[in-house]
Amino acid sequence: MSTAIQRPSDSIKPAVDKSGFKYRLIRDAKINKYVYLMLLPVVVYYVVFYYVPLYGLQIAFKDYSPGLGILHSDWVGLKHFKDFFGSHYFSRILRNTLLISFYDLLFTFPASIVLALLLNELRSAMLKRTVQTITYMPHFISIVVVSGMLVDFLARDGLVNNLLHAWFGVQPITFLQESGWFRFVFISSNIWQNIGWGSIIYLSAMAGIDPSLYEASRVDGASRLRQTFHITLPGIMPTVVILLILQIGNFMSVGADKILLLYNPTTYETADVIGTFVYRKGILESNFSYSAAVGLFNSLINFTLLLSANALSRRTSEHKLW
Amino acid sequence: MNRKQKSLQLTLVSATLLAVLATGCSSNGNSNSSGTATSPAPAGTATGTGTAQASPSAADANYPASMTYWVQMNGNAGAIMKTYNEMAAYQEIEKKTGTKVEFQHPPTGQEKDQFNIMLASGNLPDVVEYNFGSTVGLSASQSPDALIKGKQLLRLNELIDQYAPNLSEVLKEHPEFKKMITTDEGNIYVMPFLLGDELLSVVNGPIFRQDWLDKLNLKVPTTIPEWEAVLTAFRDKDPNGNGKQDEIPFFMNLNSDYDLNHLFVGAWGITTDFYNDNGKVKYGPIQPEYKEFLATLARWYKNGLIDKDYASITDAKLKDNKILNNEVGAYSGFAGSGLGRYLTLQKETNPSFSLVGAPYPKLTEGGANPLGQYTNPFTGYGAAISAHAKNPEQIVKWLDYKYGEEGHMLINFGIEGVSYKMENGYPKYTDEIMNNPDKLPMSQAMAKYFQSGWNGPFVQDKRVIEQYYTIPAQREAQKTWFQADHSKQMPSISLNADESSKTASIMNDVKTYRDEMFNKFVMGAEPIENFDKYVKTLEGMEIEEAIKARQAALDRYLSRK
Amino acid sequence: MSRSRGEHLFDLLNSLLLILLSLITLYPFLFVLIASLSDPKWAIQTRGLIWYPKGFTLEAYRLVFQNPSIITGYLNTLLYVTLGTLLNILMTSFGAYALSRQQVMWKNPVMFLIVFTMFFNGGLIPTYLLIEDLGMADTRWALIIPAAMSAYNLIIMRTSFMSVPSSLEESAKLDGANDFTVLFRVILPLSMPVVAVMILFYGVAHWNSWFSALIYLRTRDLYPLQLILREILITSSTETMTTGVGGSDKMLFGETIKYATIIVATGPILLLYPFLQKYFVKGVMIGAIKG
Repeated sequence: MSTAIQRPSDSIKPAVDKSGFKYRLIRDAKINKYVYLMLLPVVVYYVVFYYVPLYGLQIAFKDYSPGLGILHSDWVGLKHFKDFFGSHYFSRILRNTLLISFYDLLFTFPASIVLALLLNELRSAMLKRTVQTITYMPHFISIVVVSGMLVDFLARDGLVNNLLHAWFGVQPITFLQESGWFRFVFISSNIWQNIGWGSIIYLSAMAGIDPSLYEASRVDGASRLRQTFHITLPGIMPTVVILLILQIGNFMSVGADKILLLYNPTTYETADVIGTFVYRKGILESNFSYSAAVGLFNSLINFTLLLSANALSRRTSEHKLW
Repeated sequence: MNRKQKSLQLTLVSATLLAVLATGCSSNGNSNSSGTATSPAPAGTATGTGTAQASPSAADANYPASMTYWVQMNGNAGAIMKTYNEMAAYQEIEKKTGTKVEFQHPPTGQEKDQFNIMLASGNLPDVVEYNFGSTVGLSASQSPDALIKGKQLLRLNELIDQYAPNLSEVLKEHPEFKKMITTDEGNIYVMPFLLGDELLSVVNGPIFRQDWLDKLNLKVPTTIPEWEAVLTAFRDKDPNGNGKQDEIPFFMNLNSDYDLNHLFVGAWGITTDFYNDNGKVKYGPIQPEYKEFLATLARWYKNGLIDKDYASITDAKLKDNKILNNEVGAYSGFAGSGLGRYLTLQKETNPSFSLVGAPYPKLTEGGANPLGQYTNPFTGYGAAISAHAKNPEQIVKWLDYKYGEEGHMLINFGIEGVSYKMENGYPKYTDEIMNNPDKLPMSQAMAKYFQSGWNGPFVQDKRVIEQYYTIPAQREAQKTWFQADHSKQMPSISLNADESSKTASIMNDVKTYRDEMFNKFVMGAEPIENFDKYVKTLEGMEIEEAIKARQAALDRYLSRK
Repeated sequence: MSRSRGEHLFDLLNSLLLILLSLITLYPFLFVLIASLSDPKWAIQTRGLIWYPKGFTLEAYRLVFQNPSIITGYLNTLLYVTLGTLLNILMTSFGAYALSRQQVMWKNPVMFLIVFTMFFNGGLIPTYLLIEDLGMADTRWALIIPAAMSAYNLIIMRTSFMSVPSSLEESAKLDGANDFTVLFRVILPLSMPVVAVMILFYGVAHWNSWFSALIYLRTRDLYPLQLILREILITSSTETMTTGVGGSDKMLFGETIKYATIIVATGPILLLYPFLQKYFVKGVMIGAIKG
């Protein structure tokens, strides 16, 4: 693997020739023996629990039958992939998946950062802790209940319509029956549920910022806005970038659970994603191989996206996965 | 029923239906007989001179000393026990047979995952009690035949002939059962869960607010035009008496009303899915009658007879809410949760609240009998035996005990004198069940003693449900719904590997399109004139392929012996 | 320290905004709590916002706690959370430390190897077979060892370790410290905020986990709380599973049982965060860095 040899720019000894590589290998092992000792259980863990079972990927190309087992089931080549791509609805579910992911990235992802920054500006430690604790709670309410509340509140005779009517004289809107509203409802409820939980990690990153930086800047007479943009944000930037890369690597995996609870045939047009489509197919026939094939397809795209995001980040900032 | 639950239901295929089935049964339709397989000494079987109630030594196999037994923990039981060994009926069976059963329980409603990995590991317990139903949940490569071929499960035909005299007797009395439990390849793979009494295949149907009808001097409607008239009166005449026109005359749910119940659509003699028209498989949504059905619903929707919100009411609570708040005039539901539960909830605060089960409407007065909800007496649930079990003949004999008189009473009613008393030949539940001193809900009190509150390898007795439906309206509703036509019901056919892999993708597209278009037509977003275009699109999705596959499967089914 | 009028205005608006946000995010939880204490009839018949339980009853909780497996479930979960999180923190620290050092030759290949597993895995069946071969099926280990670490968390911790000034490591090494000492004496104490986050993330994950228990365990006495609660939930609220028998009596309480279950399931873990919060205060590391 070429990445193994391409040392990052901060490497000390440039590679000279083959014997140099060997030399470095031995030297590295000597200097870092404890580091490798620590890495050993980690590598063993990943090899045993992730790489050993990897042979299971082949069921995407087979017709898995439990009677025969993974190894002895029949090969069917790309049949499941063809089935999937050949669906009448393939382009629609792909589009919906990408769009929902995109909006999630555009709105949900920054929302937590903004909350963390605002919390950081709160003067009262008491208020800060209270807000933190409260905003993190919805993360623990099951999706079933949250969806139930949404269906109730957003119904034609529900809370939201009553308020809209009373305040603005708006005629009732059946939010969950109109495909135009679905993404808005989905994304905004995502933010509502996860904004607090998501901000925790940034708060922790902020706690690690050296306070002397703030003191110095205050001496220079910098405003708080300036401090936010010149100290706080750069301070959490490594975390932001890494999480962003990971999120991009998750682009194809829009969770089906919540959509299943909120959508209905009238909103399929915007709400039906790969996950829900495969779920409905699972109702017709529980097919390990088919889901494995779709999963593999998603993973390939996700992984490609992650590699690209990482490469881009490497080039434009010093933050990277490797 | 909320959509998620609906999906769950479908996923658990017949687990669902079985739960439906679990509402009760007995074999002969003779509610006063003591159930099934009571005739002594089925002489025809190979060695069996004795039924289970005869002394075990009479047969040439003993009961096993012990065995492992995998079965999901039913929720009602799980609420009060950790293993079925604590259930009175199983304790009694252990006393009678001397067999020590080591139960392994995956959690309720989640047994499918464990089942799949168990098969993958090839490490099956001696007995696997599971829903093998092939309607859903099992692709052909996981079908019982494949499992027998793959040396995971045993073919039971011969074992049943020899060591299961009680079950053999049941099958002899009911050749139709035999057909249902035998696969296309002639294998019997489980000791089955069976519904004997036809009445008990029917548990869901249309329900009206009786008090609303009374108030407006209306009769329970029996035809589509009558429904329309009654629903219109509900809309206009303020039956809930709050001075506002806020009534939802009919609360509609696409999946349960139509896919499960064939409500309205059945008046045209079709369903919203595949049906069996005299041996010929047809797909309802492409029939010309379906257009009339859609046009009718579209008119109702436009005229405010159907909840404007119907498509988005995906939460069961909202249905409960609207019904209990006197907003809904008619809907369809289960005799238990959709009728008995509401009546119980309203008993104190709103005593005038009353419900009645309505017949499935015909197209016109004197028209053909409409179709209605019906569950096949066998849907694939039962106890299968591992190919690695050491003493299958003994295990079969043990399982067969519950199909005999004594075992039947134990598993359906529990312990005589404790959980039931015989009154004029009728096993009547005692207060231990009906009115439990520890304040257990009835379903849990039942679970404490016996298994017939849900499915298992036995024949369910109709007298279980007769007593479980404590409210007369429930029992009457069931009888009313039963009048519908069930002859077009698809039997539990099974697709072979080729058929299922070819058509699963087709059907996913087809169903997606069907559901989307249903709503568009009904809500008026798509003019009904475009119906032909819609049919063309479905044909483009190769619906004919799927019909052909099911036709082949039905032909195989009908030629089973 | 003087603040401008603009800053005052900002502080005021910011506080108001966050208080409003708190109210909006608090409500679902409040709703669940109130509904769980209400008369089921009332819980079903009410729409929109509710502010206090009506027909106060603990019946739903009684029905949940009457389940004989609840207590063992709690104890099991406690064990899985404690042991599991301990192992997680240890393994993740090792990995994060090793992979955040600048001059480790194999760190990028190893990193790649790990990230790869976030996308590609063999699926349920081979993993199960592996667990079975390792003799862990139907034992408590099956819930702890296979979940020994998460790549996602490893990456987060590593990112945080990287921001610790390398001068500290170097000076410790000059004093003769080996890497273990550096990790435990220098890096970890300086990284308490991220350790707190890890405890939270891993702890919550263990607390909420039910699927691996469903797959690997057959013995009811080993079940974690969540599995039992899911069972109660499914039984009491899924119409289809309780149709017929169970449809009309147990489901009376279905609605409130659903909420009581959530309170029982989340109450204890919600308390974890306030304990960890002290590590998120700005400047908490000041002493450590200066020392």
